[in-house]
Amino acid sequence: MLTKVLSIANVGLQGVEIEVETNVAEKGFPGFGIVGLASKAVEEAKERVKTAIINSEIEFPNAKVTINLAPADLPKDGSCYDLPISVGVLSSIREMTMPKEKAYFYGELSLDGSLRHTKGVFLLALLAKEKGIKKIFVPRMSANEASVIDGVEVYPVDNLKNLIKHLSGEKLITPLKKVETEEILDDIRPEFDFAEILGQEQAKRALEIAAAGGHNVFMMGPPGSGKTMLARAMSGILPNLTEKESLEVTKIYSITGNIPPGGSLIRQRPFRSPHHTTSQVGLIGGGSNPRPGEVSLAHRGVLFLDEFPEFGRNSLEALRQPLEDGLVNISRAAGSVTFPAQFMLVAAANPCPCGYLGDPKKDCKCSSFQILNYRKKLSGPIMDRIDIHLTVPAVDVNHLMITKDEINNNEKSEAIKQRVIEARKIQNQRFKNLAHIYSNSDMKNRHLKEFANLNPEANLLLKQAVNKFNLSARVYFRLIKVARTIADLEKSEEIKQNHIAEALQYRIKNDE
Amino acid sequence: MMNNKVRNYKTGKEGEEIARKFLVQKGFRLIESNYSNKLGEIDLIMLDKEVLVFVEVKLKIGDKFGSPEEMISKYKLSQIRRVAETFLVLNPDISKRLVKYRIDAVCIVLNEDKTINRINYYENVYE
Repeated sequence: MLTKVLSIANVGLQGVEIEVETNVAEKGFPGFGIVGLASKAVEEAKERVKTAIINSEIEFPNAKVTINLAPADLPKDGSCYDLPISVGVLSSIREMTMPKEKAYFYGELSLDGSLRHTKGVFLLALLAKEKGIKKIFVPRMSANEASVIDGVEVYPVDNLKNLIKHLSGEKLITPLKKVETEEILDDIRPEFDFAEILGQEQAKRALEIAAAGGHNVFMMGPPGSGKTMLARAMSGILPNLTEKESLEVTKIYSITGNIPPGGSLIRQRPFRSPHHTTSQVGLIGGGSNPRPGEVSLAHRGVLFLDEFPEFGRNSLEALRQPLEDGLVNISRAAGSVTFPAQFMLVAAANPCPCGYLGDPKKDCKCSSFQILNYRKKLSGPIMDRIDIHLTVPAVDVNHLMITKDEINNNEKSEAIKQRVIEARKIQNQRFKNLAHIYSNSDMKNRHLKEFANLNPEANLLLKQAVNKFNLSARVYFRLIKVARTIADLEKSEEIKQNHIAEALQYRIKNDE
Repeated sequence: MMNNKVRNYKTGKEGEEIARKFLVQKGFRLIESNYSNKLGEIDLIMLDKEVLVFVEVKLKIGDKFGSPEEMISKYKLSQIRRVAETFLVLNPDISKRLVKYRIDAVCIVLNEDKTINRINYYENVYE
């Protein structure tokens, strides 16, 4: 008998409806075949489905079983077809009743017939909503991801036996309650608190501005001065994702399998710190069946590149498009996909290979050629896209022994975070009518006319600075964005002269 | 105590005997049994009207170790095809007379007491 079961395939971040056709023919030599451009993972579903059915105490048919995944010209990958295939086989041999209304089945089977955590359930729910499908059957471990989408009944399935009982009406599975996004807030403590970092007041202030407006930061300083610590502490002052942002991020995390079993929406701003040996594809995304890279995993969050010049030149230069447009276009033979990549870049580097160039106490041992080569990695186009340039000097030994009082006197991350949240609130209010723009750094140049609100003195100072330091047009616009954030932190309606002055201070480097 | 090789050979022989009787009853004529060359072996070569039929026989006693159908792999079938084609080349008098050939399979399951549980006959199994 022939049956048809619906499921989905993911192309980039877009779901495509897949019809899983199962035919169990009494005639012909017995066997189990899958057609429809199935990858190795899908081919192997045969063994999982067969064993899972047998272990659910149902006899696997001694007949010719043919599975077709339609549309047949779209490559299918992943283990998510185990459930639709087994539902197809079981209903073909009348061991299972098919639901009367259209429903999606999705999930990986374990050999004992239970269902495992499967990536991409969030996208399944989104597609179900789009296509008007009312019911989806997914592994219990992954069901929470789908429960935030309204209008879709999510049935968490434990194992094949329970599903059979549910569909025959013998014992119903209760659908998950819709979870309000506001309820999901996991509080993870950052590794470091800003109060633990001694000195570096300028850097702390700059990071606060960066966090408030989502601006890119570049930190340069000798080894051991606290660049990495500052960057890691930064995750503690980032505000949680707003609901809209959270949906964007969860999509990417769901498709890459980064949501832990039982997890739901991602509410914490991502903080990614890939190692400098990361390949270009790992950083930007790609592969023959394109997958998102670190820049997309850092979407709406922070991408921290420690030892920035040690990254491959190709990888660094490939950052240009995402830094400018907030997305990456990946074209491969299989097709072209676009991944969002609106991240905040935090880069850290030493001033030279040995690390002590310009250090007041230690001599630099590098030749000028070595320094030149090292700096070459920090190309103009990339540095141009970074709004805040910081020098993080070594901390004097006298400041290093911390007493309890000092830690208590230092400002805690929590206090800084409150100011950042206030500034973000102003921005959310400002951009509430614009799609995909949430912070000052997301603004396009055309929005600046409307939102910048420079007062005349500020405008004059900005013009003078651009002329004197020969700044590019891009830098001009970026300066205004940073100044806007500084003004927001002060809750000032207009951008004043001192805001521009501070923004300029982060831009103009001493050694240029 | 019979050793395994001898016992397997004997069961194999029994299977071929059952299959031969079964197919002759269906109106097939036996041409050769246990044809072998260096590429492999074919259990039965028979004639179904005008079509030459190469038959693979699988016999299982009990169902403890899976069904005989599972034991006929894609590799086994392509091996049979290779042997069959060699047979046709080496016997031009037969291949000139008969244009068509196909590969069939007979799967036999015996009960522990050697009575026949089921015989399944599959036509044209090589795809």
